[in-house]
Amino acid sequence: MKVVGARVPRYDGVAHVTGRTTYVDDVRIPGTLWAKALRSPVHHAAITKLDTTKAESMPGVHAVITWKDVPLLEYGHLSALGIPADEPLLAKDEVRYLGQPIALVAAESEEFAAAAVDTIEIGFEERPALLDIRQAFDSEAPKIHQWGNWYPHFEGEMDRRQIRKGDIDWAFENADTIVQGVYRPAAIEHAPIETQVCQVVPEPDGRLTIYSCTQALYFSLGVVAAHLQQPLNKFKLVGGTTGGGFGGKVDTATETITCLLVMKAKRPVKWRWTREEEFLCSSTRAPWHMELATAVTKDGWILGQKMLTLHDSGAYARFSPYGLTKHSFHHTGAYSIPNLHFDGYVVFTNRTPTTAMRGFGVTSVSFAVETQLSRIASELGIDPIEIRLRNANRIGDTSPNGIAYTDPSTVDTIQEIAAAIGHELPADYRTMTNEPRSGELLPEHLVSQVGSTEGH
Amino acid sequence: MAKHTGRGIAAIEYPTGMNQNGDPSQCWIKVKPDGRVDVFAGTADIGNGSKTIQSQIVAETIGVPYDWITYDNSNTDSSPVCTGTFASRATFVAGKAAEKAALQVKQKILEIAGKEMEIDPADLEIVDGEVLAKGAPQTKLSVGDVAAAATWGHGELITGTGAQLKPYAAIIDPETGEVDLPPHSAISYAACSAEVEVDDETGEVRVTHLKQCYDVGRALNPSHVEGQIEGGAMMGLGLGILEDCYPYYPSVEHRGGAFGSYLAPGMEDMPQIDTIMIENPSADGPYGAKGIGEMANNPQPPAIAAAVFDAVGVWVTELPITPERVLRALEAKAEPRREGKKVVFDEELSVNAVSSGGMRFEVPA
Repeated sequence: MKVVGARVPRYDGVAHVTGRTTYVDDVRIPGTLWAKALRSPVHHAAITKLDTTKAESMPGVHAVITWKDVPLLEYGHLSALGIPADEPLLAKDEVRYLGQPIALVAAESEEFAAAAVDTIEIGFEERPALLDIRQAFDSEAPKIHQWGNWYPHFEGEMDRRQIRKGDIDWAFENADTIVQGVYRPAAIEHAPIETQVCQVVPEPDGRLTIYSCTQALYFSLGVVAAHLQQPLNKFKLVGGTTGGGFGGKVDTATETITCLLVMKAKRPVKWRWTREEEFLCSSTRAPWHMELATAVTKDGWILGQKMLTLHDSGAYARFSPYGLTKHSFHHTGAYSIPNLHFDGYVVFTNRTPTTAMRGFGVTSVSFAVETQLSRIASELGIDPIEIRLRNANRIGDTSPNGIAYTDPSTVDTIQEIAAAIGHELPADYRTMTNEPRSGELLPEHLVSQVGSTEGH
Repeated sequence: MAKHTGRGIAAIEYPTGMNQNGDPSQCWIKVKPDGRVDVFAGTADIGNGSKTIQSQIVAETIGVPYDWITYDNSNTDSSPVCTGTFASRATFVAGKAAEKAALQVKQKILEIAGKEMEIDPADLEIVDGEVLAKGAPQTKLSVGDVAAAATWGHGELITGTGAQLKPYAAIIDPETGEVDLPPHSAISYAACSAEVEVDDETGEVRVTHLKQCYDVGRALNPSHVEGQIEGGAMMGLGLGILEDCYPYYPSVEHRGGAFGSYLAPGMEDMPQIDTIMIENPSADGPYGAKGIGEMANNPQPPAIAAAVFDAVGVWVTELPITPERVLRALEAKAEPRREGKKVVFDEELSVNAVSSGGMRFEVPA
C-alpha cells in the first residue's frame, strides 16, 4: 500500500486555491440570455390570475414560461422508491410557500429580465398558512396539501413510519425510571458559496448541453428528461465540480426550467440565483420535533424507548419520506435498545420545502438520543461515559429493524474519548470490547432483553 | 455574574450509502499508449475530495503512481452512472466501482505483459508502474511498454469497467419496519467531548475544545478525512449554538436573507479540535473504508448541550443554544415534573401542550 493511506495532494486543490476552477457561473457562452423568476410573494394563496402578455413584449425579452410550458409538470424525485409526485415545477393553481417559482423570463440582460418579471400580471387569493407542525393534526388546522397535512403514502398506504420491536409495555412496567424529553433542532441554510446556477446551450444537433452545479449528475439528468419527456441522450450534463453542496444541490432546482427557456428562446440561457434567493427560496435542513420516553433501570440499563417524530417537510415532500425512514432505522443511536415503539410523520407546512442535508435524518436522532441519555445519566447519578458504554451496541446486537450489527466501534470510540479527557474508567469498562456481552455487567433478568450475549 | 465551564459527551453511529441501498455507481477506465490511466466516473466532487480518493484507489489497485491518473467526472456523455454525492456514499460506493474497474485493467495489463515477457500472468505483479516477475524483480517491463505493445502490437485497448450496487432492501412489514435485506452498508461510529464556557450574564456559549474520535474504517487519505471531521465539527458547532433559518420557529418572521443576517460559524468561533482516527475496516468498502462525510456534524450539538448543562445547570433542547435561550432557561430554572417513576422534562414544548387534540404523545406509567 503506497497510494491508499497516503496524504497525497488534492487532485483539484491548486485550481481551487488559485481561483482557476471553472464553476458553472464561470462558463461564458456568447449570445447567452439571462433568466429571472417571478416568485410567490406570499406563504399560501390561490392563483386567480396569471397573464404574461406584457412581459413577452418587453424590450430584450426572448422567452416567458409558465406551468403551461412543462410537458410533465409534476415529477416525483423518489418515484423509483414508490414515492409519488406532489410538486409542480412551476406553480399552477396555487402557491404554498414564499418564493415558490411561478414564471420565468429570459432576456438580453438580468435587468431586462427583472423588468419584464415586474410586468407579469398575477392575482392571488390569500389562504391561511400552516407553520407549526404540532398543530397540523388539529381539526381546525388549515388544509394545505392535496394529500392532507402529512404524508400518507408509506408502505401499506400508512400515514406514518412505524417501528415496533420487542415488548414496549414490558419495558415501561419494569423500568425504575421513565425519562421524557422534547428535542427540536432548527432549520439550517445550506449556505454554499456558489448559489444555485445553471447554463444551458442549444447545440446544432438538437441536443441541450446543461452546465449544472448538481451533486448528482445522473440523478439530475433523469429529472430533466422526465419533466421534458425526452430520452436521456437529448441532454449532456456538464458538471462534477460543485461550489459547495451539502444536500441542497441534489434538488435539481434550476436545470429543467433553464432548458425550457432555451427551448422557447432558441438561445443559450443562464439562470443564477442571487444570494437573497439562495437564502430565502432554496431548500433548508428540516426542523424536527422529537419526543422521547426512555425506560431505564436504576443502574442505567435502557429497557425501552418510545419516540414520536414530526418532520417539518415544508410545502412539498421532496426527499422527506426517505429522510424520515432513515431516521426511524437509526432512532436508537449507537445503542442496543431491545424494546421500541416509534411513530414518525412527515408533516407539510407553508415553509420553503426542506431537503437532504449532511446527516439527513440522523443528525436529529443524534441530538435527541444523546441529550436524552445525558439527562438520564444526570437524573440517575451515573457517569455519562459509563452509561454509554453499558448500552453501547455490540457485535450481534440488532438494529431497530432487527439487522445484526457486524462492525460496531461504539465501545472503542468512547474509550478513546475517555482516555483523551483523562477520565479514569472502572476496570469493567476499561476492558470492555465490541464483542458480544460476556454477562458480567449484565443483570440476570435482562439477559434475554439486552442485545446479544455470549455464554448465556 | 461569571463565566462557567462545562464538558459534555456524545456517541453516535451513521450508515454509509443510501438507506435501503439500491444506489448504483459505475466507473470505466482506459489506458493510454504510454500507460497513463484515464478514469471516467459520474461522481460530482462537492468538496468531499472524491476526484482524489478515486484516483488513489485506481492507482493503488493497478499499481501505478498517483500522478499517472487523469480523473474525468465532467459530463454524462463520457461518464457512466453515479447515483450522486450524498449519503456518505462517494468513497464507499463509487470508490468500490473504481476499484473493480481498476482490477480489470490490472488483469488486462498482466495478460499482455505475460505475452510480451512469456511468463504466466499469475506469476507477475505490478509495482510502481512496472510489471515484475514475482520473486525475480529484475525481470520486468514497464506498464508504458505494455500499453504500447497493446496498442501497436496486439491491436488491443486496455480498459476496465466496474459497477457497485447493493440491492434495494424493501420494507416487508410496515407495522414493524421489518426489511427483507440489510438496509445499510458499513456503519461508522464516533464519540465526542465538547468543552464550553457559558457566560451567565450574556447567555453566550463559547465552545473551547472538541475532542473527537471516529472509526473511519480505513483512512484512504488521512488529510482528507481530517478535513471532513474538522470541517464537519464546525458545521455541528453552527447547528449547536449559532444557525437558524427561523430564529423564532415556527414563526417565519426574522428570516435572514444574507450572510450578514444569518449567523454561520466563522474562524473566530473555531475551537481547538483534536482528532483521533481509529480503523475498524468495513467488509465491503474499498480497502476497508467507511463513509464519514456526513456524520462529522452530528455529535457536537448533543455534546454541547450536555456541556452547557454541566456549566450552568440548565437543559436547552431547542437548537441552536442561543444567548436568549440560555438566559431564559437560567431565569426559568425549570425542574422536570416528577410523578411516580416518571421524570418529565420540556412539557411546554410537547405536542400535548400545543396541539388541540389531534396528536398526543402518550407514555405508559
